[in-house]
Order: sequence, then C-alpha cells, then structure tokens
Amino acid sequence: MTVPPEAAEFTIPIRDSTDVLRARGSARELAARLKLGSADQTRLATAVSELTRNILQYAGEGTCTIINASDDHQRCIRVIVEDHGPGIPDIPLALRDGYSTGGGLGAGLPGVQRLMDEFQITSQPGHTCLTMAMNRPRTPFT
Amino acid sequence: MTEAVDFNVARWLEAQQEAVLDAWMSDIVSRWKKNYLHVVDTEHLHLQSRQLLEEIRKLFVENPNEFWEPTPDSKIVVLIRSLSTQRAKQGFKPADSTFYVLSLKRVLWRRLLQDRIAENKVALATCLAMIENVIDRLTLLIYEVYVETRERLIAQQSLSLLELSTPVVRLWDRVLMVPLIGVMDTQRARQTTERLLEAIAKYEATVAILDVTGVPVLDTSVAGHIMKTIAAAQMLGARVVMTGISPDGAQTLVKLGVDFSVVTTRATLRAGVAESLLLVGKRIVAVKDAP
Ligand SMILES: Nc1ncnc2c1ncn2[C@@H]1O[C@H](COP(=O)(O)OP(=O)(O)OP(=O)(O)O)[C@@H](O)[C@H]1O
Ligand SMILES: [Mg+2]
Repeated sequence: MTVPPEAAEFTIPIRDSTDVLRARGSARELAARLKLGSADQTRLATAVSELTRNILQYAGEGTCTIINASDDHQRCIRVIVEDHGPGIPDIPLALRDGYSTGGGLGAGLPGVQRLMDEFQITSQPGHTCLTMAMNRPRTPFT
Repeated sequence: MTEAVDFNVARWLEAQQEAVLDAWMSDIVSRWKKNYLHVVDTEHLHLQSRQLLEEIRKLFVENPNEFWEPTPDSKIVVLIRSLSTQRAKQGFKPADSTFYVLSLKRVLWRRLLQDRIAENKVALATCLAMIENVIDRLTLLIYEVYVETRERLIAQQSLSLLELSTPVVRLWDRVLMVPLIGVMDTQRARQTTERLLEAIAKYEATVAILDVTGVPVLDTSVAGHIMKTIAAAQMLGARVVMTGISPDGAQTLVKLGVDFSVVTTRATLRAGVAESLLLVGKRIVAVKDAP
C-alpha cells in the first residue's frame, strides 16, 4: 500500500474491494507526506473510496491514478479514476443529492464535489473519466 | 491400445518395486529436505509410497491394455487425495507437492529405458504411455486437491474473521454495545444487523450503542450500511446511540450530505455509555468512601 517516495504518479488497478482499500490508503499516505492535515487526509481518502467503489459497482473494473502535482506555490494531489464501463448517461442528474441507480444513498458524487477543490467528469459508453484535485498552499514548513 | 503387448508392465513393476522405491525416495528426500523434512516423517513417507506403488501396479493389472480413468472412490484416488490434502495443509508449495509423482515418473522411465524392453520400440512406447497416463492423472488430482484445500482454508479464515469482528456486547440490563471494527462490507453489515436484532430480542434491550471508532473510512457505502442497521434496531423499539465518529469523520460526513440525525450521536464511547445508562434510568456514581 505504499507510495514509492519519489514517484510523481502511479496507477492502481481497481478490481475488487481490497483495491479500494489500497487506493484510498495510498492517497492518504501521499497526503500525509505532503503534510496535509488529518481532516484533508480523511476527505481525500473518502473521495477516493467513493469513486473507486462506484467503479466496482457500476463498471466492474477500472484504474485509479494518484498524482503528486505540487509545485512551488501549492501542494496538489490529483486523482484520476477511469473505467471502460457503460458510462454515466446524465452527469448533472448523477451529481444530484440522493440520485442513485444502485440503491445507495446517492451521496457519493455530490459528496466528492463538495469534498474536493476540483472535480470533473467526462463520460461516454465505454469510457468514463473522473478527475479530482485537492489544492493547499505551501507554508514555510511544507 | 489394440493388442496386449508381450511385456507386462504390472509384472515388471513388481520385480522392480524395491529398486524403484529406493531411487524414488532418495529423489524426493533430496528435494524436500530443505523445506519440508521437519514436517514429513520419512518412515511414514516410505510406507505411503510403497502403498501407492502397489496401487499403481494393481491399476496396470486391472487395465492392462487401456488407459486408466480415475474414479472418485478408487483406492488410489483416495490415497492421493489424503496425502495431498495433508501436504497442502502442511504448507507444501504446489510444485513440490506434484513433484512427488513426477519424480516417480522419472524413476520409472529411467529404469524402463535401461531395461531389455527398450529394444522393442512398440512395447516400450506402450509402457511409457501407460505410465505417463497414470502419472498425469495423479498430477492433476494433486493440483486439484491442493487448490481445494487452500480455498477451504481461506474460506474458513474469512468466516472466522467475520465471526470475530461482529460481537454484540451486553453492557448492562437492556443496554447493548456493538463495536464496529475494520471494513464494513455488505456481508459484514448483514451479519452485524442479524446479531444485533437477535440480541435486542433476547435481552429485551432498549438501547444499542453503535461504536464506529474502529471503522477506518466512513464513506457513503459504509454510512448506508450503518443506517440500515440503525433502522432495523429502531424497528424493534431500541434507541440507537452512535459513538466514535472522529471530528474529521464528522466533517466529511457532513460534506457527503449523510444525515445521522435519526440517532443520538456522541463523540466518545464514554459519553455514549453515560447517555445510554441514562436512557434506562441508571447512572454511574462515585463510591463515597473509595480509597
Ligand atoms: N463509474 C460509473 N459508471 C457508470 N455509472 C456511474 C459511475 N459512477 C456513478 N455512476 C452513476 O451515478 C449514480 C450516482 O453515483 P453516487 O456515487 O453519487 O451514488 P451511488 O453510488 O448510487 O450511492 P452511494 O451514495 O452509496 O455512493 C450511480 O447510482 C450510477 O448510476
Ligand atoms: Mg457511489
């Protein structure tokens, strides 16, 4: 579950629920290494958990790429979650609170939108790509 | 095979038995000695192997011209199954477990090629094919048993883990506590709910504390499971007090829009216990003259 310390980005295949744990654990680890606060670590881990779980539930399998996109001014963690499943036909609808086709709470996608600083979805049958990012300014200690 | 060959494999095997056994056992021991000899009793191994060799010889007696097909209750299948189950449990690698019969094949082939029969190409080919057939079948069988045994082991472990992870504790009369620990998946959630409902009925409990301190990430799927458990408990008339949501977890749940307002929540288990006791008209007080 460890992030290679120098790697700027790495991809985790998402095939079963242990991969969800691996992905969110790795995201949390990177956040901790960038000295993000524990609330941010929890937010990021939860967001990764939501999107990777959706992959398992709606697309079967996919990938989760975690990128350290920090620069001199800010610390930035970008996560790209991709699958080749059926796609999300109506994105605004899927982003609505309480909308679920799988008997869930329908809180995953709208929740991620509120948890992260950036969130984009592109989807067509056969390729769905969700990108999200968390940005925090650098401080003298980070 | 159309016609019986002059050469009789079964009889040949009988004559060779001791020599074959010796060569075979020394081959096995030299390969296994590093990793397994402390779990294998060599005397027992000899005995087993002699028995197996005898069964193979009988196979050749019973099927002199045909290729043998294993049947589930034949003695040799039972024998191989039992010894490979045992080895899988002892931690043998599949390659080392199948090596057992592959080594026998090697020994038999080598001896056959040195035999007079090697001059008769047709007879030799027939013998080799018959031996090959039996050993191949046994190899497949060993592999199958290996996988079965390991799968059963894994299933047992995950089951016992599941059992372990959903205790329902009776805290006081009519007060139950369920410490949720680790990953909550559908199966886990279902079992927790079942256990809790049983306990509520059995103890006529009116309060159930659900402690989530040990749940690593409270995402919507976990929250959904917990809500179903809560709804079920409430349907039996129990009040639910949820404890152990960390400040980070609380913030995240709010962002997710997950609403736990149907239950009483307390930050710590300690506060939750106090609240629950209050709900059944009890209170923890200090003993007056305590030292
Ligand atoms: N990767 C995906 N591929 C196809 N459809 C998706 C995908 N992710 C989400 N969806 C669709 O968007 C809907 C909303 O997803 P969201 O995660 O918000 O809720 P949910 O998964 O149904 O419930 P939960 O609150 O448990 O996450 C889903 O019900 C599903 O129809
Ligand atoms: Mg979801």
